[in-house]
Amino acid sequence: MSDTIIKLDAVQKVYYLDTVEVEAIRDISLEIRAGDFVSIAGPSGSGKTTILNLIGCVDKPTSGTVIVNGQRTSDLDDDRLTELRHRSIGFIFQTFNLIPVLNIRENVELPLLLDGLSGSESKAEREKWVDFLIDSVGLKDRMLHKPAELSGGQRQRVAIARALVMKPAIVLADEPTANLDSATGESILRLMRKMNETFGTTFIFSTHDPDIVEEADHIIRLKDGIIVEDRRIVEDQDDKLGFRPSVRATSPEATSTGLNGIEATGTEGSQP
Amino acid sequence: MISARLAWRNLGLHRKKSLIIGLIMGLGILILFVGNSLIDTTISGLRRMFVEGYTGDLMVTGPTEFSTTVLGETAGSEEVLPHIAQIKKYEDFLISRQDVASILPILSGQVSFGIGEEELGSGYCFGVNISDYRAFFPDNVSLLSGEWPEESDEPWVLLSEPTYALLQQSSNTEVKPGTKIIMTALANSAGTVIREVSVKGIIRFNQSNEQLSGITLVDADTMRDLLGFASLRDGAPQLSEHEAAFLTDFDPDSLFDNLFASQTILTEGEEQPEIVSGVSSEDMLENAGLGTIQVSSSTTVTAEIVPAWQFLLVRAKKGANTSKLLDELQAFSEQLGDGDRVQDWIAGAGKVARTAVTIRLVFDLLVAIIAVVVVMIMMNVLVISVNERLHEIGTLRAIGAKRHVIRSMILYETTFMALIAGAAGLIIGFILLLIMGKVGIRAPNLFFEALFGGEILKPVISIGAAIRAFLWILAMALAACWYPTRLAVRIEPVVAMRGE
Repeated sequence: MSDTIIKLDAVQKVYYLDTVEVEAIRDISLEIRAGDFVSIAGPSGSGKTTILNLIGCVDKPTSGTVIVNGQRTSDLDDDRLTELRHRSIGFIFQTFNLIPVLNIRENVELPLLLDGLSGSESKAEREKWVDFLIDSVGLKDRMLHKPAELSGGQRQRVAIARALVMKPAIVLADEPTANLDSATGESILRLMRKMNETFGTTFIFSTHDPDIVEEADHIIRLKDGIIVEDRRIVEDQDDKLGFRPSVRATSPEATSTGLNGIEATGTEGSQP
Repeated sequence: MISARLAWRNLGLHRKKSLIIGLIMGLGILILFVGNSLIDTTISGLRRMFVEGYTGDLMVTGPTEFSTTVLGETAGSEEVLPHIAQIKKYEDFLISRQDVASILPILSGQVSFGIGEEELGSGYCFGVNISDYRAFFPDNVSLLSGEWPEESDEPWVLLSEPTYALLQQSSNTEVKPGTKIIMTALANSAGTVIREVSVKGIIRFNQSNEQLSGITLVDADTMRDLLGFASLRDGAPQLSEHEAAFLTDFDPDSLFDNLFASQTILTEGEEQPEIVSGVSSEDMLENAGLGTIQVSSSTTVTAEIVPAWQFLLVRAKKGANTSKLLDELQAFSEQLGDGDRVQDWIAGAGKVARTAVTIRLVFDLLVAIIAVVVVMIMMNVLVISVNERLHEIGTLRAIGAKRHVIRSMILYETTFMALIAGAAGLIIGFILLLIMGKVGIRAPNLFFEALFGGEILKPVISIGAAIRAFLWILAMALAACWYPTRLAVRIEPVVAMRGE
């Protein structure tokens, strides 16, 4: 049985548009276990992004409790929430959100640079880790390119590497395949799955694509701001995969075997 | 540092906006640098000319409600010309100081010149002890012909070149050393005074303008006569005991006490009302340049000699703090309680220097007004820039950038622009000033000629002006980015989750 890494209890989120109150989600309670590969599905306006925002500590609930990695988000001030996001959560955005003025290597390295390169690891170790991640997502030869010079799928691969660079416990992906063609979308999903399996990182992604939804171990379906289905496909992930890393990878050597086989040079490369 | 790297790269990415702000900043720094250099050149030229040639660093004048310059702007505007009653005390005070190099008492006024009965023109005169004057202004006066006067000489005059030319043109008599000329002045307290003096030489002021080059030097006693002060040429006045007592006790107003007896009948025991006297006997003594009367046991008394001087010029030692000296001299003057005025060279120099300083103030005011407008334009451009980067900033916030990272990114951007545009503006300004320094700016009229201290102004590159201009631009840039920075740090990370 895995530990609960995310817990939402009776969460409600209301947005105020002028004088109109819009209840995006209501009475949402859910638990996500560490290492799960979770999909949040539902049509547009069902509250998928709102839940990701709350889990990602970029928004606070109107009522209810959100606990992320053991911390109640409503108790934290802006700096602590930023710290929590920085240390524990990686983001993959629908529109990739790479920084246009930085090259691929710098984009992946960016969260580490925000950290001021502090911590126990040396600069050389960190650079090795960045290179390893870029290699893992199949963009070693594009390292010095700018995001504008890459296809959509390649950009999303960069975003995945960036999301993992801080070795977070959770990666949130908001419709990561929505702006990609289906082949590229599948490739991205496979890459995410592989990262999930290799690093033991909890991946939570939102989607409205029914095929992609079914790729997850844990499916949460929303409709009109409430959960209509919360289903764990495999109760014990160890049974499904036959292996599960007990410790998250912390060095390229620890994980290199598991990542080199990913289809990192998928079909998305042709779309600039 | 990541915020600096992001800021630098963003300048390149948003070239058009960077160029707009950069141009504004560059132009601003160029105007400030060149404008301030021109003003600095003018003021430092004027300062050098006046301090080294006419006023010294500081100037003490007698009590007056009018502004007083070394050219005696107020001469004739008061019944009794102001003079420094306790000049000896000032001299003692100043000589004892470590920061004072030298002092010089002078007299000043406007005088008419003539030969025989012919009046030929007028001009400003300084009444001086020539050896003291030459020691105080060693480099400013050249003798073109004749010789320097001696202390024992008869009343003398050193004609300035323009005055000499005027007399030469207007008179049938050849003017040369030894020529007797008539000097006439309207001394308010003594009526019209006429003195004959001998031309001792023709002089030229090495640093001068149209007005200053015409100043004529005359011996101090003659100048005192012309201004209505008592001359000490004949030594101390010898007074009988009776005369001394008369001058001490005599109240001229008492002569008129009974003129209006019907209105001033007093009842017994009523006190005599105080009569306000316009000119007291003390005033008369004072105006005569005489101080306390010392009555001796003999039948005659000798008045203590205090020659009247209108101005006491003070030259500070090189590197001395003249502001401190001014403050302390002012405090000393207040202690003496005569109401004397202590002023700097600008007040002593008069209209021209005040105009230059006023031009600087006006320029600074204009710069301040333009700065406000420029700051608004820059702020708008920066706000647009921040709004266009909502998504990028939101992403940075989402992936862990704290607010201070965003703040420093915007600050770096603005500072980089200020540095680049500032450097460009300074380089262009430097080149412009070099060219102007070679070619020179010709004064369009006499006013500017006075201001420039000559027909052509050759501006010098002022490092102070460059630093001031740069600091101005930096301050403007920081002011302009204050609001955009506030906007940027308020961008919430949730913005990153929205579509672009």
